[in-house]
Amino acid sequence: MSIPTYEGKVVLVTGAAQGMGKVIAETFAARGATVIVNDRSDDPRLHELAKAIGGHVAVADVSKHDEVQTLFDQVQKDVGLVDVLIPNHAYMSMAPFVGYDHEDWWKVVNTNLSGTFWLIQSALAGMRARGAGRIVIITSGWGVIGWPEATAYSASKAGLISLVKTLGRELAPEKIIVNGIAPGVIDTPQLQVDADAAGVSLAEVHALYAKGIPFGRIGKPEEIARTAAMLADFRMQSLVGQIVQVNGAEIRGRV
Amino acid sequence: MQMTRSSSSTITNAPIGIVTGAASGIGAAIAAELKNRGWLVAGFDLKPAGSDCDVIVDMSDTRAVAEGVDQIRRSLGDIDAAISAAGFYEMIPAAQITQSQWNRMLNVHLGGAFNLAQAVIPHMVEMKSGSFVGITSELAIGGGSEDSHYAAAKGAIIGLIRSLAAEVASSGVRVNGVAPGPTDTPLLTPDSPWRAPDYLATLPSRRLAKPEEIAYVVAYLIEEGTFTTGEIISPNSGAVI
Repeated sequence: MSIPTYEGKVVLVTGAAQGMGKVIAETFAARGATVIVNDRSDDPRLHELAKAIGGHVAVADVSKHDEVQTLFDQVQKDVGLVDVLIPNHAYMSMAPFVGYDHEDWWKVVNTNLSGTFWLIQSALAGMRARGAGRIVIITSGWGVIGWPEATAYSASKAGLISLVKTLGRELAPEKIIVNGIAPGVIDTPQLQVDADAAGVSLAEVHALYAKGIPFGRIGKPEEIARTAAMLADFRMQSLVGQIVQVNGAEIRGRV
Repeated sequence: MQMTRSSSSTITNAPIGIVTGAASGIGAAIAAELKNRGWLVAGFDLKPAGSDCDVIVDMSDTRAVAEGVDQIRRSLGDIDAAISAAGFYEMIPAAQITQSQWNRMLNVHLGGAFNLAQAVIPHMVEMKSGSFVGITSELAIGGGSEDSHYAAAKGAIIGLIRSLAAEVASSGVRVNGVAPGPTDTPLLTPDSPWRAPDYLATLPSRRLAKPEEIAYVVAYLIEEGTFTTGEIISPNSGAVI
């Protein structure tokens, strides 16, 4: 078989307590990796996941630079150098632009964009020591096309797209390969939040979102996880600085 | 159109793929990768590809391509994936491109992709599953000096892919493209400027793409990227980011 495998590789996935992060962690573990799962609080779900996949828990609020540094110190001591980094964590709040709360703006930007920046900075030393590394940033379709009332979120995700492109150029000569994924609507716990906000059932939200997708359904976390596993393939070096859009043909925009 | 079936093509229940341009370069690497993953492969090319079922055909010949696809369906079964990789490359200053050079470029690349799509996709829509991948080029996105006819043909394939994807998505059929950068295949002559060390030094990856890398991306699109459609993935060594 020629599906990429990750025997002997250490993979760090952020935002892994639920949703896409959890499934990304499970996918890399199933393909042989030692996986470190991170989230911002000491969530029991994180420990259950680590136990199930034979991985490790590393709690840190990645929007805080010092916590990211501590996280990497701990990982290096307990597990080793990180070969693959998957910044998947995200914070979102939606509100009309004019009244958008400044504190919330910074929380979104610091978590999504700066948090990823700190993570990559801290991961680099280990990747350089190993002579190779793979980074797959989870951005968003809204980072490609923008979205009303999601100013901070869309801007932070567009910032991540630019980070992919810039670091794709800057780090590829060192065989540290950076790419990104821009998911469309994916079946994650966020949909329950959307359903609650709209006062409708989860099934109704699924149906409503599916109607807007040419493929006729929303995506599964596994479909993002398998895309991440392709992009982190150590046999590949020429796929770099690219954003793969996984959205059932929903989003028609330019990366 | 002429078909040769190899004696080893008797695996049952294996998925069936058509790869055009399978006799060399990127097409050959895709055919090999699919074989690795347990597929039965029909190679369409001007010369024998050594696939499970070779079809000797010029991809610009609409009728011959349709006949080839029909024969593969009769002899191997329903087509699960079709990959349009047949093509050729030449650099000519725009002012010097003759009408026949222009037509040949469009007929083989764009016509070849369209001929294959039209022959296989209706059956995929009927089956409510299937995957089509068109090989386009990084030059279709970034353009290149003396590449106008090649880039125009490859660029048109991107429009074809995105439109087809939208048209058949509700049937569960996926249509995607791969836009390689300069790749280490016989299409690049030994004296090609794309092989020049000065050029390679400008690439973030510092080297040409390898045909196997293109094949891994194609295999992802067919087997693993089950929510990925209407997308163009460009393994181009960082030439176009």
